[in-house]
Amino acid sequence: VLVSIICSQNYPLYIRSVPTENELKFHYTVHTSLDVVDEKISAMGKALVDQRELYLGLLYPTEDYKVYGYVTNSKVKFVMVVDSSNTALRDNEIRSMFRKLHNSYTDIMCNPFYNPGDRINSRAFDNMVNSMMVQVC
Amino acid sequence: MSRPPGRKQENHKISRDLFVLTYGALVAQLCKDYERDEDVNSCLDRMGYGIGIRLIDDFLAHSDVKKCRSYSETADVIAQVAFKMYLGVTPSVSCCSATGNEFSLILDKNPLVDFVEELPVERASLCYCNLLCGVIRGALEMVHLAAEVTFLQDRLRGDAVTEIRIAFVRKAEDRKHKRK
Repeated sequence: VLVSIICSQNYPLYIRSVPTENELKFHYTVHTSLDVVDEKISAMGKALVDQRELYLGLLYPTEDYKVYGYVTNSKVKFVMVVDSSNTALRDNEIRSMFRKLHNSYTDIMCNPFYNPGDRINSRAFDNMVNSMMVQVC
Repeated sequence: MSRPPGRKQENHKISRDLFVLTYGALVAQLCKDYERDEDVNSCLDRMGYGIGIRLIDDFLAHSDVKKCRSYSETADVIAQVAFKMYLGVTPSVSCCSATGNEFSLILDKNPLVDFVEELPVERASLCYCNLLCGVIRGALEMVHLAAEVTFLQDRLRGDAVTEIRIAFVRKAEDRKHKRK
């Protein structure tokens, strides 16, 4: 399982995966999924952006894993990669995970010592992501 | 801190988030301007002093406190009336010296640090809320009570609670002495 936050200039602010081997492969997956995200964003066009449309859903399934995307109004993208073997995960759960991520992300943004565009180094955020990933595995 | 000039009688409230974010931006900018923590702290204290000498009149006009007859009454008024009026929290007061000149205000909830999770590593001795110390010092000075106000403990620096120490300086006998 992997969680990553990518900023609007398309460089990662935060990447964290639970089984820490194969991290490079995950980085590559996230990078390739950015194209799909951009495609979906441009396809939405002038549609009214409400909460549902922030969640992009399953970006693409591959042989081992599924990739989910979520983009905020400020073009910050959250990408989550989960094992395909984990069939117990439903859409609602993924949505709620993204919502939690978004809330924690806004808390970090409010920290006056955080400069937008910096890597995210917050312990509270790490703890939240850890607990979320533990739930998934 | 949010009253525009020429206000009418009704209380003009602004969003608390806006205030907390503004204060955070202020501290972050000071950190960019000054390299040393002590400089940032003293700058915050000076700013707070400037606010305090003006705020005291607003406070006295809006609250009906009578003249305080002792230092402990003063500390109680600061904690229960002033903090409540401006920040919405009520710290607890404890007297911690035999001569009755030093008091501690213990804040378990500090609204100014709502969004700050922890201090950045290179700013370990920053007093984030030093503005409050300056405000209290300035306000007391305008009612002719000289005091030294410092932070003893700070949640942001890892302590359990936030504690502000107010040490009233004895006036009248010795005009010149600076420390208690």
